[in-house]
Amino acid sequence: MSKITKTMTEQETRKDRFRILVSIDGSEEAYQSLRYAAKMGNGVDADIVLLYVRPIDQGLRSGGLQVRIARENMLDWGLELPGIKYLKKGYEILLDMGAAGDDWHEHNYHSNVDGDPLGDNKIEYINKEGKVIVLKLKVATDIATGILEQWELGPYDLIILGASGRSRGIAKNLWNPAVAEKVATHAQCSVLVARELDIGHGHLICTDGSEKSLETVRKDAYLASRCECPVSIISVALDVESKEEAKTFVETARKELAAMDIEVVNAIACVGTPVDKIIDAGTDYSVIVLSDSGKKGLKRLLLGSVATKVLQEAYTSVMVVR
Amino acid sequence: MFNPRLTKDPLEKRLKLRRLRVMSGFSPDLFREKAVAVGSHLNLIYFWDKKWFYVAMLVGTLMLQLPLPDGLSQEGLVVLTMSVVATILFVTEPVPLPTVALMIICAQVLLLGIDSTNVAKSLMTDSVLFIMGSLMLAVAVVKQKLDKRIAWWLVRITGTRTSRICFGISVTSGLLASFIGEHTVAAMMLPVGITLITLTSDDPKKVRNLAAVLLLSIAYGCSIAGIGTPSGGARNAIMIGYWKEFFFDPTNSETYRFIIDYMKWMMFAYPIFLLQLPFVTFILFKTFRPEYQDMSRAVVKLRAQVEKEGAMKRADWMAIFLFFLILIGWITVSSNIGMGTVAVLGASAFLIAGLVRWEDINSGVNWGVVLLYAAAISLGVEMKNSGAALWVAEHFLALLAPLGADEGFGLWAAVSVLTTIVTNTMSNGAAVAVLGPIVLKVAVAAQESPIIIGFITAISSAFAYLTVVGTPACTIVYASGYLKTTDFLNVGWKMVLFSTILMLLIAMVYWPFLGV
Repeated sequence: MSKITKTMTEQETRKDRFRILVSIDGSEEAYQSLRYAAKMGNGVDADIVLLYVRPIDQGLRSGGLQVRIARENMLDWGLELPGIKYLKKGYEILLDMGAAGDDWHEHNYHSNVDGDPLGDNKIEYINKEGKVIVLKLKVATDIATGILEQWELGPYDLIILGASGRSRGIAKNLWNPAVAEKVATHAQCSVLVARELDIGHGHLICTDGSEKSLETVRKDAYLASRCECPVSIISVALDVESKEEAKTFVETARKELAAMDIEVVNAIACVGTPVDKIIDAGTDYSVIVLSDSGKKGLKRLLLGSVATKVLQEAYTSVMVVR
Repeated sequence: MFNPRLTKDPLEKRLKLRRLRVMSGFSPDLFREKAVAVGSHLNLIYFWDKKWFYVAMLVGTLMLQLPLPDGLSQEGLVVLTMSVVATILFVTEPVPLPTVALMIICAQVLLLGIDSTNVAKSLMTDSVLFIMGSLMLAVAVVKQKLDKRIAWWLVRITGTRTSRICFGISVTSGLLASFIGEHTVAAMMLPVGITLITLTSDDPKKVRNLAAVLLLSIAYGCSIAGIGTPSGGARNAIMIGYWKEFFFDPTNSETYRFIIDYMKWMMFAYPIFLLQLPFVTFILFKTFRPEYQDMSRAVVKLRAQVEKEGAMKRADWMAIFLFFLILIGWITVSSNIGMGTVAVLGASAFLIAGLVRWEDINSGVNWGVVLLYAAAISLGVEMKNSGAALWVAEHFLALLAPLGADEGFGLWAAVSVLTTIVTNTMSNGAAVAVLGPIVLKVAVAAQESPIIIGFITAISSAFAYLTVVGTPACTIVYASGYLKTTDFLNVGWKMVLFSTILMLLIAMVYWPFLGV
């Protein structure tokens, strides 16, 4: 009982904090997005959680001998679990950037997971002002599930993870979505899928005039001002006649941002296929920002959305805002 | 390294961000609303995750509605449907695999109307007992911590050159795995491999290729050895069981040749393993080109580490003694009392000697696998009894006839390719359990020797070098976290190609001398 109330209050206090979940897999891409996360989460009101998801050790595939036997044997030799090195390297990057300090308090936590001898482990670093950096080594059946489960423990404002390569064909994606797509579709918070994520080139926000996209504009305004990134707006009209309409959409968004004290660098209204135009324009920016499609359930599964397609085919990083 | 600029903001900026947070709709209450919203389409995700289960059930229902094809009894159709559904579930894994085993048991009673006691009886055979016993033995052997001793011997003999170490690892892993099963040896040798890697460099990126070569030497060394003796893997015991079940008739002395004992199996298969050994190292080195040609630093440190263990203790000698006793038991008496009995006897001996705790065995063995094999073998026998196996075999042959692959060498190659494909998608024991009845009936229909076709299936089932899940050894070394799934693909296809050619050559040139 006390444990539940504890987590409840913990989650209560987390609401006011800006919490970023960064998925680390040892790739350069992941460390680059960690640097971005560090910049975005540099205030005292922001927490950064580094997550490495390790596949669960299960024995059905290993011919009936549980992998735990091999794992226990490895530990007996004094070998570390996979992932610890990657998380430590991530922490060193944060130290180098000054986003973490040597004098922070360190706590270690461990929780048991069914079917795995070692379970989840995390190291939490807290400074005097309550800013938290967490290194978490999590066990899950697959990486996407692990990231989504971690969100449930959060909650988080933003998940950052590396892209899993460009477009693999619609059928394949629908049937067996890659990690990034799966997380971007199922997560209940904003997801940034990093592709050579650099800091300098600002955000490009897509709007279609709907209330939902205006909400995206407002939310990204917050995210962009966290990392002090310049903001631009794009709206794509399907045909020439509705170009005026697109212009008004851009204008509305600009006003919305002006009300929040944020200046728009470029305001683009153009005609064409939304997905292609957005991807082309996006090459000049660090991040393309889109709202999650309004479609729910089966419709979303079958029809997909502009957001999903841009996510799969863009050359730059893409953020789906919720 | 502490930089106050980044952690202490000017108050003004902090207030602005705070205001923006509220304005932008990142307001606290949203979280709760959204958490509720998850629930509403969680059901769909749940459904989608299990999609293959529904596909399999749909396929099953449709198949049962089909008009009875020529030459297939109603019973045969039901068994065939069960096999197809089980295969889909084996490959796609929408539900935990032991569930499939439970479903097979239930379907035999509910759909085929077999008496439940008889179904229960068909689950336990000597092969299943052997699988169970050898898994218990595997845990017992790994728990003896003889791996440090083995590592010590290994580096003393091989010296410090990377290529020689890798070859040494493959040979050691292989020789051991051919007798006690690949998973056992993979679990024992994995720490040796990783220790050598971490002692060479702390940065995984600098030793990527070295790690691939070392760890795959273990995995493939174990995999190729699993075919060497009947105790090398579950699939061998399953095939031996099928031969006996399908062709052995106590009243007919002609059929005695279908009883394959330990030595006979070794004469057929051991040379293939030995010939493959040098090529494993060769192929791995050609594919990955490790960063370090010499590992003296790592070897010296490893030597220091393992020498701390001190001299061999009495328990160590006892374990080795028991191990050889079991080996002798398999070679000499297993044809009389059954391989399963020897394995179970061995496991009891380790427990009696106090060398392993029951709790370790209990948590180290995945009992679901035992259940799975039991159900798969029982279904395989049902395939034979209902005539479904023969029906599939005849159609398979008719399909191969235009390609000229319905007899002789062409048929061997076709069976080998089929097994290789199936084994890469599911565990190799399951592949043999599913395919065994069919290929043996193919042999009968094509008037080929069931022994040769059986061996080709059992041996080809080891060619699962392409995927992580293909063989137990691959799954275990993958748990180290040093390998990518693509590594298995990159080198695996070369291994598959080479192994297939070698096996077919042996089948053509060497096996006829053994009189089959």
